[in-house]
Amino acid sequence: MSGPAPKDLWLALHFHRFPLEVFDAMEQPAVVAERHLVVCANAQAETLGVVAGMRLSGALGLAPGLAVHDRKTQREVETLDRLACWAGSFSPHVSLAEPDELLIEIGGCLRLFGGLDVLCGLIREGAVTQGFSVHMALAPTPRAAQWLARAGQEIACLDMQDIRRHAQGLSVAVIGLSAAEMQTLASLGVRQLKDLFVLPSSGLARRFGIRLPQQLAQALGEAADLRREFVFPESFVQKLELPAKVEQATMLLFAARRLLASLAGWLSVRASGVAECDLVLVHEDGIADTHLVLGFASPTRELARMERVLRERLDRLVLNAAATDLRLEAAAPVHLPGNTLGLFAQASAQSLDPVIERLRARLGKQAVHAMEINDDYRPECATQSVERCDVKETKGGPPRPLWLLPEVQSLQERDGALHYGGVLQRVAGPERIESGWWDRGEVVEEKASVGDVRRDYYVAVSVRGEWLWIFRDRQGWWLQGVFA
Amino acid sequence: MSAIPLALDDVLLRPDIWRGDRLAGLAAESVASGFAALDAELPGSGWPRGALVELLPETRGIGELSLLVPALQQCVLDELPVVVVAPPGMAHAPAWAARFPLIHVLVVEAESGKGRDDIAWSVELLLASGGVGAVLAWLPAKISNKSLRRLQLAAEGSRSLAFMFRPPSCEQTSSPAPLRLSLHGSRQGLQVDIFKRRGPPCEKTLLLQVERPLPWARVRHEAPRVLPQRQPQLAVVAKELAK
Repeated sequence: MSGPAPKDLWLALHFHRFPLEVFDAMEQPAVVAERHLVVCANAQAETLGVVAGMRLSGALGLAPGLAVHDRKTQREVETLDRLACWAGSFSPHVSLAEPDELLIEIGGCLRLFGGLDVLCGLIREGAVTQGFSVHMALAPTPRAAQWLARAGQEIACLDMQDIRRHAQGLSVAVIGLSAAEMQTLASLGVRQLKDLFVLPSSGLARRFGIRLPQQLAQALGEAADLRREFVFPESFVQKLELPAKVEQATMLLFAARRLLASLAGWLSVRASGVAECDLVLVHEDGIADTHLVLGFASPTRELARMERVLRERLDRLVLNAAATDLRLEAAAPVHLPGNTLGLFAQASAQSLDPVIERLRARLGKQAVHAMEINDDYRPECATQSVERCDVKETKGGPPRPLWLLPEVQSLQERDGALHYGGVLQRVAGPERIESGWWDRGEVVEEKASVGDVRRDYYVAVSVRGEWLWIFRDRQGWWLQGVFA
Repeated sequence: MSAIPLALDDVLLRPDIWRGDRLAGLAAESVASGFAALDAELPGSGWPRGALVELLPETRGIGELSLLVPALQQCVLDELPVVVVAPPGMAHAPAWAARFPLIHVLVVEAESGKGRDDIAWSVELLLASGGVGAVLAWLPAKISNKSLRRLQLAAEGSRSLAFMFRPPSCEQTSSPAPLRLSLHGSRQGLQVDIFKRRGPPCEKTLLLQVERPLPWARVRHEAPRVLPQRQPQLAVVAKELAK
């Protein structure tokens, strides 16, 4: 492949309600407060007039039903880490900008996702379904992208020359200066970035220190801006404290999806997939954890597949005790190369795997199975249920019935003739099956094994035209199979 | 309703509209049943893909599955699996292996009842996936028309063959499946009555020599069973037309 090397393009994600949204999706007006000041309000609270920076008492006056959360900085740090893992789904180059921003370098992966619009759409959808409000902006330098995102200017600025034009109208508040420095700027009459761009950098350095002119230069691409890359952890164990005790399994869906999204990103950075992951529900008061194993028919890192299995499992789960925490562990990731797309988008056997997973999640793992032939002449032992069968050939043999009865059924013998809804006519046989001398008919798992058998098999036809597989042994005549 | 004049011939090109005296065409292609006499009576000259086919066997063991084996073997050639949902017995691997490579056979043990209908749910999921060649399902006796309609919708979006086995008592109740057959056993062959199809009512009973463990000639001959004559279900035909 030739062509120009892809340019750096930084996508900044500014989660503007981050302190609040680390808790959960909330329907009612809610705020996060720190030292009696509102730090962050949700949309419902904002419609009632509550804004960040307001005193908590004032906010409660405006909205008496307001839900107030104390700010949990530790939680914000953990959540941002989790989001960084999730961002790994899109690009391996992710960097954190604490407290509430992510930077994703997407210049190299635009083609993979089918263009800028598609990729940005995927990222936004991913953030929103996890319950995060986000402003996104794109620029050739990380700093400019951050500033645009902070201002809520959802702009895709693709060229270095355009940065100045796009950024000049922004308020100087986007730089994130201290209150005193903002005061100084205001007294100089500097309100927008364009006012700063025209000031000589030596003068700015004298008043504000070297940082401010350096940041301006970094934003415009005139100075290097090296970001520390997010280091994806070696093994995946993510914990999430639930905002409230959860008694109903389906209420866990939202939180568990955040964990799965993070796992999916982590797996794609490592080019791996999991066939199984373990969602652990932690209970209070020393009650043993509930382990919910999500199994997949083949290794995967596809979030939609994992979510479907999660949903089926949670639907059927009955919680014995309230859960306080969730933990997601992916013990054994296996190497899974990138997705290959079918040339003609043909339906392949692969596409059935997600369906098998969902069936297994709802019906139980044993309920969905393939078959293999067990080398045993006794019909009861000839079929083996397997998770996946690899036998590609058909195998000939004497005619055998497609169905066996779960239990052999005794047949009536009257006046020398067998009866099954009328007289049975034997049309083929006998075929002697004599096997199992090693088997003494012990009871294993509440079921007697077949034992040593000595049987003469016949094919019989009933008056109704049923073709049956019957046999005679010392005890009499038995119906065992049906030629369907 | 807008009053756009349409030529009758254009209307008749639609797969869901057909003249009463002819068999309908099919939206999707069909799979030859392997029995010329049956293909001649089926709209599209074979088992339709993307539509429910209801089979009402009088009892099991009369060749109800052997009837489908040639078509299923076609599916398997496309490397698409045949999925058996809620089978009426334990599948006996040596018998299946003689007809299909076992890699392409999947069994789903599902139950219905207690307010859950896992069987219909599984069938719908499988049909909607588009990744199966054929679904063979033994539906519960008490399945609502709404569930059947959902299954038919799921089938319409796929290229799968969808064979639904139902008890013979369902013959009198209506169903959204466009093709319905009742099956009776006999000493001469499997008796097949197509009692609903998109086309004129099928008057004759077909006698098909489906695969049996030994040739049909080896079975003692008796007079063919005389089955009660049924009236073509005109009400059902009219309903189909009204759709």
